[in-house]
Amino acid sequence: MKQVGNKDEAFSLKTRIKRLKRDSNKWSVFTLAIVFFLALPIVFIGVELFAGPGESWSHIVDYLLPDYIGNSFFLVFFCSILVLVFGVSAAWFVSRYEFPFRKQMEWLLILPLAIPSYIVGYAYAGIFDYGGSMDLLFREVGLTFIRIDIMNRAGLAFVLSISLFPYVYVSARAFFLNQANNLLEASKMLGVSEVKTFFRLMLPLARPAIVAGLVLVLMEVLNDYGAAKYYGVNTFTTGIFRSWFSLEEPQTAVYLSALLILIIFVLILIEKWQVRKMKFTSSKSNSKQIQRKPTKGIMKGFIFSVVFLPILLGFVLPVVQLIYWAVLTAATVFDMEFIMISVQSFAIAIASAVITVFFALILIYFSKWSTLSAIKNISRVGVLGYAIPGAVIAIGIMIPTLALDKWLINVLGNFGIDSGLIINGTLIALLYAYAVRFLAVAYNPIDSTALKVDNSIPDSSKVLGVGNLKTFFKIEFPLIKTGVFSAVILVFIDVMKELPLTLILKPYHIDTLAVKAFEYASDEMVMEASIPSLFIIFTAMIPVIFLNKLLIKK
Amino acid sequence: MLTINSLSKSYNKGKNFALEDVTFNLKAGQVCAIVGESGSGKTTLVRLIAGLERPDHGSIVMGDKVIASLDKFVQPEKRKIGLVFQEYALFPHLTILENVLYGISKIKHKRKRAQDMLDLVGLSDLGDRYPHQLSGGQQQRVALARALAPEPSLLILDEPFSNLDTMLRTQLRNEVFDIIKKTEVTVLFVTHDTQDALSVADEILILQNGKVIQKDVAANLYVNPNTLYVASLFGSTVHINKNLQHAFRCPLKETCCYAIRNEKIKVSPSSSDTDCEYITTAQVIKKIQLGESIQLLLKLDSGEQLTVMTQDKNIADTIFIGFNSTDILEFENE
Repeated sequence: MKQVGNKDEAFSLKTRIKRLKRDSNKWSVFTLAIVFFLALPIVFIGVELFAGPGESWSHIVDYLLPDYIGNSFFLVFFCSILVLVFGVSAAWFVSRYEFPFRKQMEWLLILPLAIPSYIVGYAYAGIFDYGGSMDLLFREVGLTFIRIDIMNRAGLAFVLSISLFPYVYVSARAFFLNQANNLLEASKMLGVSEVKTFFRLMLPLARPAIVAGLVLVLMEVLNDYGAAKYYGVNTFTTGIFRSWFSLEEPQTAVYLSALLILIIFVLILIEKWQVRKMKFTSSKSNSKQIQRKPTKGIMKGFIFSVVFLPILLGFVLPVVQLIYWAVLTAATVFDMEFIMISVQSFAIAIASAVITVFFALILIYFSKWSTLSAIKNISRVGVLGYAIPGAVIAIGIMIPTLALDKWLINVLGNFGIDSGLIINGTLIALLYAYAVRFLAVAYNPIDSTALKVDNSIPDSSKVLGVGNLKTFFKIEFPLIKTGVFSAVILVFIDVMKELPLTLILKPYHIDTLAVKAFEYASDEMVMEASIPSLFIIFTAMIPVIFLNKLLIKK
Repeated sequence: MLTINSLSKSYNKGKNFALEDVTFNLKAGQVCAIVGESGSGKTTLVRLIAGLERPDHGSIVMGDKVIASLDKFVQPEKRKIGLVFQEYALFPHLTILENVLYGISKIKHKRKRAQDMLDLVGLSDLGDRYPHQLSGGQQQRVALARALAPEPSLLILDEPFSNLDTMLRTQLRNEVFDIIKKTEVTVLFVTHDTQDALSVADEILILQNGKVIQKDVAANLYVNPNTLYVASLFGSTVHINKNLQHAFRCPLKETCCYAIRNEKIKVSPSSSDTDCEYITTAQVIKKIQLGESIQLLLKLDSGEQLTVMTQDKNIADTIFIGFNSTDILEFENE
């Protein structure tokens, strides 16, 4: 009898198809459905490109596009430099040296994340305004001729950097604290100076971590609408808003969105390439943390100042300015309507946090239960929304839902039902958009805690006769609770701060604190914007402090 | 009871096979040990049987039911197989009693059953503790109680003692198998330690590079090993290569591979004292006292080195060593 090679047969096309049939289960189908649902807005942007550009497109290409591209590159370039200087220096000093208030500063450096960039922008506009704090200060010391105008793209780059540098700080610090000790000691034993050790050894090794943080910053820079609008800088996002609201040309907005996606795609490619180039960096964490060096004299003062400066600029100054305004405007702003808006804001943020975390859990566990290996990779597509600016996601949802609603009105009209808009301009579209945009924010903390649960734990539950869903509720969920909880909080903060997507998709009778602050600022009432801003900051601050504790534990 | 048919599994789409064309069967009530080095496919094999992995080829039949093949896959929770993991995998947020109760929530008198199981493993009083409050050995016994509680038709132990130190290991191994014997369950016992296998198994299956090399009762594996690898697993063995054949003047067939167990090599002070068929002289390079006996590191004239054991305390620097043709192990060429 001729023996058929088992090895060859096991991967012949026929056996593969048989296995595919055996191994596809409902979880695979559900995962694919969820991924498709989350990718839909981007798919629509792609589909709409075929409908051709709007009437003003050629005008925009001739007169505005160079501006959009020029400003975007300007912002990307200068924000990169500034956040690297602020973030990496602070991360290195708090990881490597002991100095007064180091422990407090370690978490204070994360606080700028609690303030949305556009609010930092409002505060600085006030500080440098004619008759603002800076102006008064200069006049006090007799420097009346100095007027600093920050309402331009350089000012915008500064504002965005000072509010976004903590992304770089956090990832660089995590690297310095947990991965660097052995190498640092080796370098010391070889008699290399501190400065040289930092530039020759630490900085190159930390590069993948730093680049990862930097890419997050740049995505936020390209996502920003509120600050750019207020500073009068034309960017892709302000362009999308202009085409949508002023020109009423959805097609032009689609084309700008597609271009913006392209730019972000290039950024991500650069990151991947950077990280791959640095593959030799060990990802195993050394159990020993870095040893801090005590500092003396001038060194102590220097390090303290370098670390305190970004806290002062990114948190203390803006908050003091806002509190000052708040005191002046409290009587007029703080009324029943404001309380209603706060409640709405909270309710929307909590609802979308829960929904988003729910989707993240589904994506993580369904793809795990799906026994096809390809599904796991496909499931990562669902997380891409975080790279896509809020305005783009909003356009990607607005266009199809408008079309769907039109169709529904027609169909229901035939039955004599006047339905009005069902999806568009309702909370459904808004919550859906938040879920698409912030899925990664929920996905990452849950995924990393889920990875810490050894596979043998759910496996032994299954062997004991308990199915996937029940195993999840009885065994896995109790073990990943902290991850789920931090995911809910993180999404909550992001939704509280979110502006561009909310502006486009919110139902017109509903307001959030972010929208209210933006409206005040746009109506030349920037002082009145301070109270909703402070509300956002303080709700975001408490969890930021709490989450930092989690980060430090990690 | 369990029939495995040309089972194959690859984790990289056929580039390498973790398990290749494995076929064997297991009788009810038997204790079968699976022995192999790390990476030999032991864990893959038990995960396939438990339903935690899916085979790329072949089938698994339990009783008269196919539980895994190319067309069919029975979920792990439907297989009625007990599995004790190397790392125990106790549920950290449940008490010991809750852990044991976990798999038997649907049966009648489950509390009594769980308590009986804890009694059986000698942990009657620790039911309300949490896993982290127990020692390694105690956790091991909880894992066993939990796996036995649903009365599985097959119990798999995946390297259950490898996390324990040697002293505790022997003691716990004996305890665990005393408990298992009482339940009369069929057992697959995965280990990389031949001592473990020899002391408890009715039959031993040897895996190497994902393939079954031999499956037999312990005594046969010692006397009739299939390969040099199997021979060396059950006692140190010397490969009789060309040089040694020449040194001992024992002409052997070229098409085969030969070996002799170290303990079958006899040491004598002069050529007249030995009754061996094949003899040669050797220089003693080093003597190591190992309790009662002495290990000698020898060098032959041909330059070959080998070690032998002797009880003789007055060993000269030059000695005679030899063996008999009946002690030679013969294998197909590898």
